[in-house]
Amino acid sequence: MRKILVPIKRVIDYAQKIRVDSSKGGVQLKNVKMSMNPFCEIAVEEAIQLKEKNKGAEVVAISVGPKQCTETIRTALAMGADRGIHIETKPDVRGDYIDLQPWAIANLLKGIVEKEDGVDLVLLGKQSIDSDCGQTGPLLAGLLNAPQATFAANIERDDDGSFTVERETDTGTETIKLNASGKPAIITCDLRLNTPRYPTMPNIMKAKKKPVETISLEDMVKDLGLDLDEVLTPKNEVVEVYEPPPRKEGETVGSVDELLSKLREKGLVA
Amino acid sequence: MRRLQQTITSSTLKRRSSLCPPTVRVVDTATAGLSSVVEQPRPQQYLILPHRRYSSTAAASRLPNDFLSILKSKHPDLKISLNKYDLDSHGHGESHHPLSPPDAVLYPSSVEEIQDILRLCCREVYREGDSDIPNVEIVSVIPYGAGTSLEGHLNFLLPQDDSDVNNNDIIEIPSSLFESNSSSGGSQLLKNEKKKVRIKRKGGISLDMCNFQSIGEVTPGDGFVKVGAGVTRNSLNGALRHTGMQFMIDPGADATLGGMTACGASGTAAVKYLTMRENVLSLTAVLPPRTISTAANDDTASRSKPMVVTCGSNSFKNSAGYNLPALFIGSEGTLGIITDVTVKIYPIPSNVIAASCAFDDLHTAAEAVTTIRMLGIPISRIELLDEISIRAFNQSVKKDELKPMMEEKATLFLEFSGHSESSVKADLSAAQAICVDDFQGSNFEAATDETTRSKLWAARHKLYYSSIALRGGGDNGGATSQSTIVTDVCVPLSKFADIISATAKDLRDMNVFGTCFGHAGDGNFHCILPLRQDDTYEYKENVFKVIDFMTERALSAGGTCTGEHGVGKKCSNVSLHLLQCNI
Repeated sequence: MRKILVPIKRVIDYAQKIRVDSSKGGVQLKNVKMSMNPFCEIAVEEAIQLKEKNKGAEVVAISVGPKQCTETIRTALAMGADRGIHIETKPDVRGDYIDLQPWAIANLLKGIVEKEDGVDLVLLGKQSIDSDCGQTGPLLAGLLNAPQATFAANIERDDDGSFTVERETDTGTETIKLNASGKPAIITCDLRLNTPRYPTMPNIMKAKKKPVETISLEDMVKDLGLDLDEVLTPKNEVVEVYEPPPRKEGETVGSVDELLSKLREKGLVA
Repeated sequence: MRRLQQTITSSTLKRRSSLCPPTVRVVDTATAGLSSVVEQPRPQQYLILPHRRYSSTAAASRLPNDFLSILKSKHPDLKISLNKYDLDSHGHGESHHPLSPPDAVLYPSSVEEIQDILRLCCREVYREGDSDIPNVEIVSVIPYGAGTSLEGHLNFLLPQDDSDVNNNDIIEIPSSLFESNSSSGGSQLLKNEKKKVRIKRKGGISLDMCNFQSIGEVTPGDGFVKVGAGVTRNSLNGALRHTGMQFMIDPGADATLGGMTACGASGTAAVKYLTMRENVLSLTAVLPPRTISTAANDDTASRSKPMVVTCGSNSFKNSAGYNLPALFIGSEGTLGIITDVTVKIYPIPSNVIAASCAFDDLHTAAEAVTTIRMLGIPISRIELLDEISIRAFNQSVKKDELKPMMEEKATLFLEFSGHSESSVKADLSAAQAICVDDFQGSNFEAATDETTRSKLWAARHKLYYSSIALRGGGDNGGATSQSTIVTDVCVPLSKFADIISATAKDLRDMNVFGTCFGHAGDGNFHCILPLRQDDTYEYKENVFKVIDFMTERALSAGGTCTGEHGVGKKCSNVSLHLLQCNI
């Protein structure tokens, strides 16, 4: 195996309480703890495990977003990735769905895959916890005309370079083989795939010395020969962001008969 | 020779009788055992285990009439629940003690709310028809974290029949305790003025600390983090996952840091990382009010407003006077409401090796542990399970072909961790030599990767529920976690082998089902004693005898009746013994 690319996204930490910033029409991002999307963590962990099984493989972490994304890349490096690429956006560009959407990211990643050369596998999280789109992986596969498997719960690499993937479906597990095709395999990772390691201090310190290439979004777009407007203008417009209405307290009933009569009263049961 | 005599008052008898048989005992500490024992007949109430986790009828609220309305007017955002399910869930932990709900559950979000709540919990009230002698109305308060108490801390057990409310005894207390007294406190004390009052208990409230969820920033290089009392240890470690550091105290349950501090928690990692006593650097707590406020007292700057104290220092060493955080650790909610704690965190070890080893008998296994500790071999976990525990594990995996069954012998579970692979391996070899060569241990296995390590330790991880399952008895009236008593004694290491094997022998001799297991490296062991509905009176009596013998051996050996669970509602004669020191 030669290269594994792992695109990662910096999102609001999963344990944070989300507040709607009604004036800006989005969620509040100021002074909120951010970290790597949990499914991207699973993807990084899988890449490291594959690297450990296949000596000589290189894991590259890629992120698109504001300058703090470098910290997110450092976390991936601490987990065991070898180098990072940070495509830095201007400070006025939000890192989340309102400004950066899967189509733009997929186009950027396609360019990077072709530029890097020798990429055997691209591992992504199945979706990000801020947008829940789940589109970047499949879009990338479509743009590259590459084989894909989504919601992977288990990945095995065979000696001929093909991947056998168990994937989650609503009715059970499906096993798919991605044949070696000269194109990188695109696999998106689901929860059951692995448990991401917590990096130890020595690895965190080593990560500070690993190379991270920072390039501005504008320069990258120019490099790849894409259209800046095409990349920056979101395909979907976010119309409104609001908090769900507060839950009302339920009623306690004294017996099953009372429950049935209440349900009938509300017209929920015949 | 020390003799301890404990008499139980009639009200204590009523309150405690549902949990533990009251006894009058004379303990001779010169001999490691019992001398003469005088027992009172045990009342029937305590034998109605297992208890239910829900009350069948909602009890009428015992709180003062204006309690909640005053609070709501002062703090309209304060969430208060009177819902029966909320009350029930806040009336028990994870022990066998009977469900005893509060009259209200409050969910404070700030220190100010707690101050105002506490102030209302001790007030001077003049009732109609009696302008001379006021009532002092006291509302009990129990802070609630994750509800994982094993000793009944969260069970209110207030007199349900209001026997204290009907108690009309007049007592005298110093006037300086009263807010309403206009003269200064100093002159009051000198004059020794007293005031006549009647003490009335007016129910109880649960203070759910779930809104205290802050987790501070970790500065690289510092080995501590400040967390709100409602943060659970798993969510703290999740938040720390990218810092390379973790909070290392592992009591098994996902308890809150506030609760762990209040009960002096520890766990399997104490062999290397010690207990909460050594891991709390500073804390903030709201103290009970210094004076009894008047019922209508609205002045927030008054003397009765509870103080908020921040004590301790975020340095690893501190010689500045009284060790105030140490007072709170283990205070079990009796000294104040802890709102945040600063705890030590440690680097995640780079190398971990797990191992297990079987021994011919419990005593030999315990001796091996003592030797490993005395030789100073660095060890990060060392747990001892008796053969009944292994039988329970084997029973639970019988139908699972993937997990192999273990030999039914006393087994040690060890873990070594450290910075360098070679030193961890050397520690492992040294311990292996002791277990196998010196103590005839067999089947010594070791593992480095996480999956195999979990498999190796499976019997230890699944111990609690597999023990209950082995006792069995079916779905209706069989053993459950609500009918299981878990004991907790801690003794000096030299006595550990004798005491744990004596307890195991008691279980066999008295035909009582129980699994013994211990944090052997600390001299701390537990006995899991599941009870069933169909157990005879004699059986349950024997269960309590085993517990009593174990506790008395531990105390005679200079140990304690609780190594990590806290006192809670433990049998009063034992805990009072510890508090009264030498009498």
